[in-house]
Amino acid sequence: MATERLANDLAGIVGERFVLLRPSELLVYNSDGLPGYRRKPRLAVFPGSRDETIEVVRLLAQAGAPFVPRGAGTGLSGGALADDVVLLGLHRLKRVISIDAENRRATVEPGVVNLALNRIAGPLGLLYAPDPSSEAACTIGGNVAENAGGPHCLKYGVTLNHILAITAVLPTGEIVTLGSDTGEREGYDLLGAFIGSEGCFGVALDVTVKLTRKPPSVRTMLADFTSVDDAARVTSAIIASGIVPAALEFMDSATIQVVESSIYAAGYPADAAAVLLIELDGLAAGVEADVAVVRGLCIEGGAREVKVAGNEAERLRLWQGRKKAFGAMGRLAPHLVVQDAVIPRTRLAEVLATIARIAATHRVHVCNVFHAGDGNLHPNIPYNADDPDESERVHLAMQEIMRACVDAGGSITGEHGVGLDKLNYIELIFSPDSLDAMCRLRSAFDPDRRSNPGKVVPIHSCQEWKGTPAASRETAGASA
Amino acid sequence: MTGQIQERVREAGAARTPLRITGRSSWLTAGRPVDTTDTVSVGDLSGVSDYVPGDLTITVRAGTTLADLARLTGEQGQWFPINPYGSDLGSIGATVATGSSGPFSHGFGTIRDLVLGLEAVTGDAKVIRGGGRVVKNVAGFDLVRLMTGSWGTLGVITEVTLRLYALPAHRATIAMEAPTDPEPLAERLRAILNAPVIPYALELVNEEMSRRIGLPTRPMILVEVGGNSAAVSAQKDALGKLGAVVEGPSDCWETMRASEKGARTVFRVSGLPAGLAMRWDAAKRILDGPGDAMMHASIGRGTVRCILANNLSLDAVERLATVDPGSTLILETAPAPLWNKLSPTAIGDRVSQNLRQAFDPFGILNPGILGTIS
Repeated sequence: MATERLANDLAGIVGERFVLLRPSELLVYNSDGLPGYRRKPRLAVFPGSRDETIEVVRLLAQAGAPFVPRGAGTGLSGGALADDVVLLGLHRLKRVISIDAENRRATVEPGVVNLALNRIAGPLGLLYAPDPSSEAACTIGGNVAENAGGPHCLKYGVTLNHILAITAVLPTGEIVTLGSDTGEREGYDLLGAFIGSEGCFGVALDVTVKLTRKPPSVRTMLADFTSVDDAARVTSAIIASGIVPAALEFMDSATIQVVESSIYAAGYPADAAAVLLIELDGLAAGVEADVAVVRGLCIEGGAREVKVAGNEAERLRLWQGRKKAFGAMGRLAPHLVVQDAVIPRTRLAEVLATIARIAATHRVHVCNVFHAGDGNLHPNIPYNADDPDESERVHLAMQEIMRACVDAGGSITGEHGVGLDKLNYIELIFSPDSLDAMCRLRSAFDPDRRSNPGKVVPIHSCQEWKGTPAASRETAGASA
Repeated sequence: MTGQIQERVREAGAARTPLRITGRSSWLTAGRPVDTTDTVSVGDLSGVSDYVPGDLTITVRAGTTLADLARLTGEQGQWFPINPYGSDLGSIGATVATGSSGPFSHGFGTIRDLVLGLEAVTGDAKVIRGGGRVVKNVAGFDLVRLMTGSWGTLGVITEVTLRLYALPAHRATIAMEAPTDPEPLAERLRAILNAPVIPYALELVNEEMSRRIGLPTRPMILVEVGGNSAAVSAQKDALGKLGAVVEGPSDCWETMRASEKGARTVFRVSGLPAGLAMRWDAAKRILDGPGDAMMHASIGRGTVRCILANNLSLDAVERLATVDPGSTLILETAPAPLWNKLSPTAIGDRVSQNLRQAFDPFGILNPGILGTIS
């Protein structure tokens, strides 16, 4: 179908204002939170209700048109980019459908912003636990698509562990209910399969989330170290002690410098080689005892000082530096790449040393700020994408870092997703048969493979798809 | 060793011979009947593939018994806090395949929340892996969640990687009497859920279950708490403020888990947690009569579980299935006619059927265990 005709038909559903065709209007949708990737959508459509969303997806099904669902566009894997296909923006679906405090659950539309949900749950003594650093902007639908994490997922689990049910429209136009918002459900865990499917399985229309009771007591501490190695070893020691902190975050000196020179300055010690931001929560009596144990482990492990936030304002200030660290890196260079490989937590010190060696070899500036308690690294490299030499060095360094993490027994992504960015790495950790099984799983939801095409699993890994037009296109474009 | 399973599945596929998948063959009589006498067993696949205690993860082969898993991790001061209903002679592979959990799911989540990775042999004899050995992982589509709870119908699970926890320094099982009438019961449950306690397990048990586990023959609430000594004593005090408490027998969870031995009918009625007291009362009335039905309920999840020595009439089960509008009845052990009547298939939807076809194209893995596909 010609683009103009498709746009007309879509406008018939959502209104002309909510279909964008002009390149200038589409420009903002060319990238997500990882600005190194740019793809131009053919057109963008923004339904304003559940019914409009269903109609749009059914029209696209009839037209055989591929599409890419998108929330707030804060993703960090190039996952929500539409390469000459339809971009389906869901941020207008932002109704909180119900909050059930007694049963500790809420049902929301996919465009509801993570923090907006917490602003409603908070006064009820409840919280929605997954807290990606982009919580002020990212949407619940996007969180579901990426199986988003966040600092507090160390103790509370990731998005997967906090979703009870989803109503979705599949790319075929079928409406399905996954999981159950009232109790248990027999059969395959289609809900679990859908969460983290990066927009390849369908479009969530409403999401029922679990709300967690706020912990009665929270203590936040900052331990500062004169050696990266010590901070890494203390992290491993805290995890091995069996205490499960609510969060255990690591920032190296490069990150501390940039945060402290930004508007997000949090009072981190400027001369530290690394700091650990540790939060313990639970019952007041138990937390105080754990604070003493963790403090002891930090001091024994070489911490110069362990500061405990004295009040809520101090606590929030310590967190602000961590949560806004990515933004602060904008001070260093126009572009930023970040990876989020996960490694076993006993291997932190050695892998961080390897990353430092790789950075020196390729003359790139790595800022480490990450979820240490989970072993979920975030090596960030600020750079100028318009400088081909620097871009190439960054690319090589990232490749080597990824390999080092995989060699340590790790995974290529802990919470950002594969998207476009890690498509070339997925074969490092999965065999051809495993990747083919993933293709089969995808095909069960989206037999025509029109939803978010070309993401997560390389098309050439899908045995049944070989020889299809899409696969030959990929092969032809592989060298691009 | 996975190679032997792969070979067995390949041959069965070529001959179109259906296979009953077994682990330790010790406790899983549950499920709809599987109509075949040929088996493939992962019972010989046991032991640790990888265990670094400092990572709090372990990779074990599927036939490893829960008892061995508890022993291995216990030696390092750790545990896998799932403890599914049944016995520790069962295998971890079967636990994952059947999606089984136990009373500690209140505090630690169900099995699908704690499996980090797995290896399986699909019906067309492909060895596949999902997830990994690290605690956080979103690489690729989620074959782990797909296989967990699929009852072997998408693949024979041969190895699993699990998240472990440190054994708490202190633990206590606290019991208090539960009011009999639904309204005061609901009030009491609400009070406990809002009290300053963060339990590992929180169960309501009926008279018969209470007697079995060595407590007075009255409905009781059982609360398992753990942590450092300050946390445990603070929780005991908090519960004491709600009513008279006694220490439960140290083996009460084990007794509860084993209580279904020899039972003819086991099922769960699941619904919203706030409706639990009403659901409990309705189930109690329907089951009231001759016999000695054991009942227990997960207070946080709102699920009532009923264990009957006898066969229950279809009429009674149908009434149970509709005790409240949002509730779901899930059979665990039942005579064939009950399955056919109440839940002919758990995988009748288009996506599930496509999955079954894609992962077991010859229909040889546990056919019928999730019901028939039309």
